[in-house]
Amino acid sequence: MQTNSSETAGMTPLNVLIVDDSATMRALLYRVVGLADLPIGAIYQAPNGAEALKVLETHSIQAVFTDVNMPVMNGMELLREMASRHEWKDILRVIISTDGSRLRREEARELNVSLYVEKPFRPEVVRDVLCQIAAVDVH
Amino acid sequence: MSSVKSLPLTSTDQEALQSAVIEVCEHAYFVFVEPCDAPQFAALVEEVRAEKGRGPSGRWLNASVAFHGASTGQVEVVLPERLGTWLVVSLLGLPADATLKDHQLLDGVGEFANMVCGAWLSKANETASFTLEMPKVTRMPAGWAPGSTPQGDEQAYRTVVVNEMPLEVRAR
Repeated sequence: MQTNSSETAGMTPLNVLIVDDSATMRALLYRVVGLADLPIGAIYQAPNGAEALKVLETHSIQAVFTDVNMPVMNGMELLREMASRHEWKDILRVIISTDGSRLRREEARELNVSLYVEKPFRPEVVRDVLCQIAAVDVH
Repeated sequence: MSSVKSLPLTSTDQEALQSAVIEVCEHAYFVFVEPCDAPQFAALVEEVRAEKGRGPSGRWLNASVAFHGASTGQVEVVLPERLGTWLVVSLLGLPADATLKDHQLLDGVGEFANMVCGAWLSKANETASFTLEMPKVTRMPAGWAPGSTPQGDEQAYRTVVVNEMPLEVRAR
């Protein structure tokens, strides 16, 4: 779309981090993020929260898409760690999980999660999230 | 984990299980699901059995996801390997004739079961919180096939047709 092209022309490419223990889900999200009509810089992947922290420590990331139930360090533990770090306060946080319980959603809200997407999700949902980031970046 | 605590078998649970499979298949895989009765399921199982000897397609996969929280139990999905391959290929948008590595197939089928389990729990009990364990996917021995009937200890049991192939799901 022309409007998007002109809007995105001046944008800094978005670096995205996908955190999920399932390689299939990471591959799916990788594909969906790549389909968004936005300048995507790099798409990083991590199989758990601990590996995600290593990526956050060493790269500039604008958006994190994370699962909740993962081995080693789960998504909520990752988000708590992120919340404790001032330098990561502007990173957009999105949960993509099979766990859609009210309790988990409330917990996510307290951890500055912008969007809670329940699996199974439609690919457009992820694309729309990235467009929201773009809109914030432009305005 | 062999039993579900504090959640008695209800028709709502049965419907929720079927709705969960439909939701996962239609939202994530863009494929329609049709319910099927025991004779229809048995006929489809026979078709799978007839495929034996033509590659791995006659084998079955069992993907289970244990959960705990407000109640404890597990959801099991049983499907032919050919359907598992097709689901993963569809999800990832790969060419129809793509060949999957074994770990891709097992991981993808496990994720399918994970989504079915999560969707079912959300529908069966909207307010409770559950923790799902990592999916376990087992390739059943050659010649094995599901019996087309519940084993008697399920909280919910459904058989459906996905892309003209049989799929059995049970929650215990």
